This record gives sequence, C-alpha cells and structure tokens, in this order.
Amino acid sequence: MIRGSCLCGAVKFVIRGTLSAASHCHCSMCRKAHGTAFGTYAAARADDFRVLEGADRITRYRSSPGIVRTFCARCGSNLQWLREAKPAVVDVALGVLDDDPVVRPACHIYAGSKAPWYEITDSLPRYAAGVETGQ
Amino acid sequence: MLSGSCLCGGVRYEISGRLSGPLYCHCSMCRKAHGAAFRTRASVRAQDFRWVQGEALVTWYETSPGTERGFCRVCGAKLLSRFERNPRFYGLPLGTLDDDPGVKPGMHLYVAHKAPWFEITDALAQHAEEPG
Repeated sequence: MIRGSCLCGAVKFVIRGTLSAASHCHCSMCRKAHGTAFGTYAAARADDFRVLEGADRITRYRSSPGIVRTFCARCGSNLQWLREAKPAVVDVALGVLDDDPVVRPACHIYAGSKAPWYEITDSLPRYAAGVETGQ
Repeated sequence: MLSGSCLCGGVRYEISGRLSGPLYCHCSMCRKAHGAAFRTRASVRAQDFRWVQGEALVTWYETSPGTERGFCRVCGAKLLSRFERNPRFYGLPLGTLDDDPGVKPGMHLYVAHKAPWFEITDALAQHAEEPG
C-alpha cells in the first residue's frame, strides 16, 4: 500500500499493488504543468488507485488530445497523468507520494526538450522523445 | 526581458530585471506543491515582475503563515510565490519560463528531506536544511 496526498491535504489516495515504468519527463508540458525541471511519473493499475478524500477537489486539464493532467483545486499539487485511450492505467506524480514508491525512475524521456538551466548528471538512459512502456 | 506562461497559456508574465539566487529546494512542501522531485526557484524583484495576461486565473494558496504560492486554476501550472514579510521579492519557479533565464541553480537546500526515489548526482553544494 502506497499513500499519497496533496500539499493542503484535501486530496488523499492510496495505491494497492506496485508501481512500474517510472521515468523523468522533460517535455515542455510537464515542465510547465509542474513549474519544475521535469515531472516524474510511475504507472499504477487504475483498479489499484483509490481516492480516499477530496475527489471533488481534483481538477482535470486536457493538455493535449487524449491526455488529461489532474491537480488539487485548492493547493495546485499535480496528481496524475491520464491517457483517455488507456483508462486501465493511472500515471502518478511521484512528488505527492507519502510513502516510498519502491520503484525508481529508469530513464529520462523528452530529454531533447529539457530546460536550458538544468543539466542531467546521472547515468540513466536518455531518450530525445518518449518511449513506449507497454502499459 | 524574460517571458513566462502557464501550460494552458491563460497566464502570461514578463520579468524586466535579473533573477538571483537560483537553487534547488527538496523540502516536503516544495515537493508536494510541484508534485515533483524538487523545486527550482530564483528570486525576482517585485518591481521587475509584471502579469501580462490572466492574473485573475492565478489561485493563491497559503502554504505557511505569510507565504503564498500561486498557480493557474485552469491548468495547475505553478507560477509564483509571494511573501508577506518581504513584499519586495517574489519566488519564481523556473519551470514556466519561456526564455533561458541565463542563470543556473547554485545549491541544493533541504537535502535531508529529499525524495527517496531521487539521487543528487551533480557537484553543487548540498545543505541538509537552510545554509547556516
């Protein structure tokens, strides 16, 4: 069981089971949405993802066709990245987890779009664009 | 002149002066607020910062007494922090800049609170909390 919550605590969720396919995403949309150097997401089965509190606070924004990003309406914490064509999977923003997700980011995606002020200094594989995770 | 904007484009801002003190913050509030491994922010003088469009879309949330973080209520992009005790400066998360700010982060703060799933692999100074 992995717990997560937003900054203000209005939204609380749990993930039963394990997370997989974690990666750092440097695309311009992740950088804008988070206001950071990159977003980091891992995949959960939608059946394993349960909102305990604050479902009415979760705001959805369609950032590109078929892609929805969610955040808390009160404090703005980024929560999920969802593909409308793959409703069985929920990509969770690791920054709002309260527990260790166990999984570790395996690569950098959209490294070709990274911020000019951020240098990638680890040894993980870097992909100029996305990779198909099979999720 | 630096320009910035949120993800949906509803909010736009401009900065006429220089950014100062860019750094990485790994505190739990920054990680939660941004839903990310860490926050990267710089200071900007309030007189140098101007909302160009969509200021009414910015929702402010008081994360600790006297400190508010602003984000776009349409797309959730994190835009700016303001401080009751120091109104002459704002905290700017670098992620929404459209231009290269010409500065790079100089240190890591609150490393004692960093995410267990992120390793710091650069050579910058690391401070467990605030630098003494």
